[in-house]
Amino acid sequence: MEEVSGYIGNFTITIRKKARYVDTSVCNACAECANVCPVLKPDEYQMGLSTRKAIYIPFPQAVPCSYILNMDDCLGNNPIACGKCAEACEQDAINYDDEDELIKREVGAVIVAIGLDVYDPTEMDEYGYTRYDNVITSMEFERLICAGGPTEGHFVRPSDHERPKRIGFIQCVGSRNPEIGRPYCSNICCMNTIKDTLLLADHYPDVQCSVFYQDIRAFGKSFEDMFQRSKEAGTRYIRGLPGDIEEDPETRNLTLIAENTTTGQIERHEFDMIVLSVGVVPPKDLAKISGLLTLSKTSDGFFMESHPKLKPVDAPTRGIFFAGFCEAPKDIKDSVCQAGAASSRAGALLNKGQVQVEAITSVIDADACRKCGACAPVCPYSAIKWKKGEVAVVIEAACAGCGNCGAACNFDAITMRHFTDAQYLAQIRAILAEDPQDKVFVFACNWCSYSGGDMAGISRMTYPASNRLVRTMCSARVSEEMVLEAFRCGAPVVLVSGCHYADCHYINANRQTVKRVQRLWNKLEKAGVRPERLQLEWISAAEGQKFAKVMGQMEELRKTVTKEEIEHAMEALKPKPRKAKKEKEAAAVTG
Amino acid sequence: MDADPKGEELRVGVFVCDCGLNIAGAVDCQAVADYAETLPDVVCVVRNKYTCADPGQNEIKRAIQEHKLNRVVVAACTPLQHEPTFRACVKDVGLNPYLMEMANLREHCSWVHPGDKEAATRKAKDLVASAVARARWLEPQEETTVPVTKRALVIGGGVAGMEAALQLGDAGHQVVLVEKEASIGGIMAQLDKTYPTMDCSI
Amino acid sequence: MATMENFKCMMCGYEYQELVEEGEDKERSCPKCRSNSIRHLKNRPSGDNTDGKSKKVKQ
Repeated sequence: MEEVSGYIGNFTITIRKKARYVDTSVCNACAECANVCPVLKPDEYQMGLSTRKAIYIPFPQAVPCSYILNMDDCLGNNPIACGKCAEACEQDAINYDDEDELIKREVGAVIVAIGLDVYDPTEMDEYGYTRYDNVITSMEFERLICAGGPTEGHFVRPSDHERPKRIGFIQCVGSRNPEIGRPYCSNICCMNTIKDTLLLADHYPDVQCSVFYQDIRAFGKSFEDMFQRSKEAGTRYIRGLPGDIEEDPETRNLTLIAENTTTGQIERHEFDMIVLSVGVVPPKDLAKISGLLTLSKTSDGFFMESHPKLKPVDAPTRGIFFAGFCEAPKDIKDSVCQAGAASSRAGALLNKGQVQVEAITSVIDADACRKCGACAPVCPYSAIKWKKGEVAVVIEAACAGCGNCGAACNFDAITMRHFTDAQYLAQIRAILAEDPQDKVFVFACNWCSYSGGDMAGISRMTYPASNRLVRTMCSARVSEEMVLEAFRCGAPVVLVSGCHYADCHYINANRQTVKRVQRLWNKLEKAGVRPERLQLEWISAAEGQKFAKVMGQMEELRKTVTKEEIEHAMEALKPKPRKAKKEKEAAAVTG
Repeated sequence: MDADPKGEELRVGVFVCDCGLNIAGAVDCQAVADYAETLPDVVCVVRNKYTCADPGQNEIKRAIQEHKLNRVVVAACTPLQHEPTFRACVKDVGLNPYLMEMANLREHCSWVHPGDKEAATRKAKDLVASAVARARWLEPQEETTVPVTKRALVIGGGVAGMEAALQLGDAGHQVVLVEKEASIGGIMAQLDKTYPTMDCSI
Repeated sequence: MATMENFKCMMCGYEYQELVEEGEDKERSCPKCRSNSIRHLKNRPSGDNTDGKSKKVKQ
């Protein structure tokens, strides 16, 4: 994925089709090329437990069923130096000059199913992964026990290729562990280990499995039955996670030291092999996809859905849906279920063939426009066309309604439909009509901070009741005038809040928010108003906790603002007639 | 500027929702309703146990017709949840959906200020006052309808992406499936057996 | 070209310097209190040094 533009029903996507250097339409997967290839590389599919060539098929059942040449591995990046595979290929399928291809497509809906990455336990030094050969991960276990694996399903341990008899499983490696920043449950590892113990019991009745765990979560349909069968098969379940693993340098056996939390005793257990039941983490590409589609993340790093209960497969951005792991840890069955739900949601949109777009776009009053061009450069969508000396024009189909231009216009020439200046000023005045000194005035963007407030509500996080919140589509809709008006009406503290940089739902409109707030701090200071009374925060839709914390901080700040300060600001920030202001500015420059 | 918005006669109806005890448990809804009566151009105030339920919506529709309301303020939950509901409700009786405004008394008030009814009620009043002030300046808007390109993009060729793409295909839609690796299959293709059925992953 | 710039947290008052790359697009938060109210003290009007520019940066 290279680029995405557009909106619900009308996305334009650019895909980079990577060069394979092998023509999939003629490759018959005969393997002659790989047979002659002199390069050996660790096989990613086999978790590095065996090797592949520089030209290879990812796995026998791969789709497309075709070889691929990895140019990074190919000899010296210069195929002329070798060229053996091309010689061997009877189909003439190999083309060293193959190039990446950029493909553009129009689509109406997007389903994001970018999956997961598996946790790398190297950082958990106490388990000795990579230090001890016979400590493996559950993914490596999958390859070792698989008939299509590097050992053709003969289950052996890495150090001496002997079949292990005593195997220890450690649960929650990289899950439910706030110390390494992974506080969430990975959902699948308990059942995966139970499955592993049953496989071992089935293949090798003499193997003794022991599982070290904090809780066994076997909540799904027929899961408890599997857990009971595992116990009946002789697997020992010991409540307690090990603190250390030692290796006997002679035998390469491992001694695991753990507190059995049921008995309270420190126990030592010797094993031939230890399997780390590793958790799952958000995929590395998540940030990139998130940026391309303006999606947001929850605190655990997975994608944020539109509503945790009522819209579990919809992204907050219309026309985009989630399937599988990237939304939250889930097993295969749940992934399939969610994929069905996502395709049904996307299908409904495609079937209908048309969609209503909210009437919140920008309108320019040609008579009021002073042709200054302040609006055009701030539009993240380049939806405003302006030439020097000409009235600015909005391309409605491209306008997403962030309101950035409305806030940038100094001449009231831009009206944001349904979010007009008049509406905001009326709200500010209404809220601050009585006892303004008790109130913290908050501008919150629709997508993130307002939703963050909703999240605080849904999670029943309490915070002081002093804040009064007004919703804008984007924080960049908040004009200097709106903030100043709040101070003029007696607000002790004003908070402008929006999405984090990466989450901005209008590409990068909130960078203008920062600029405006910077200018306002300077203005306030100039007017003798304590600039700290204006605050800026980025609060994502998932950060209910941050929302509550910030509201607490704002209330503390409010208490420091004196009656005199408020009165001074109300006076000092009074609008000056435009002409007088200009003269004064000119005087300031020359003086 | 804010004296008389449009020159037309404004008739605002305010509907205060108890949401069972979700709002009424932490906010004095009667006090909020009484306060709403005092706000400019408010001609009708109704309290509902559940405004989003049929009886609540019917009440709004009846009031719009009876009192010739041309602005509606629903003081209930977050607009991100029920704005579409109430927009459709007012539209049903001929009011432009953009003339409906919500005040978020639940997520932003009652649920987060459970310990201090007085402060929560004070805040709720301000939120209603703000919504009424905004409602007075609302204008009817016409939504644009845009066509939908009849093709879907699925990003990721693992079990979820493949399943989604297949189902969309079965429904007769064109699908573009994007996978960064050389083969589809994802992590699942690397597994041996899968629970709970203990069958092969591929 | 990267330049050393002055910043002040408008929540906790902490002042600090940071290397700023030209044209960088970076979300700022206070190294001490995590607040996003970070004021860029560059190009402030001269003669106004009530709280920052001329002061040494606390480490």
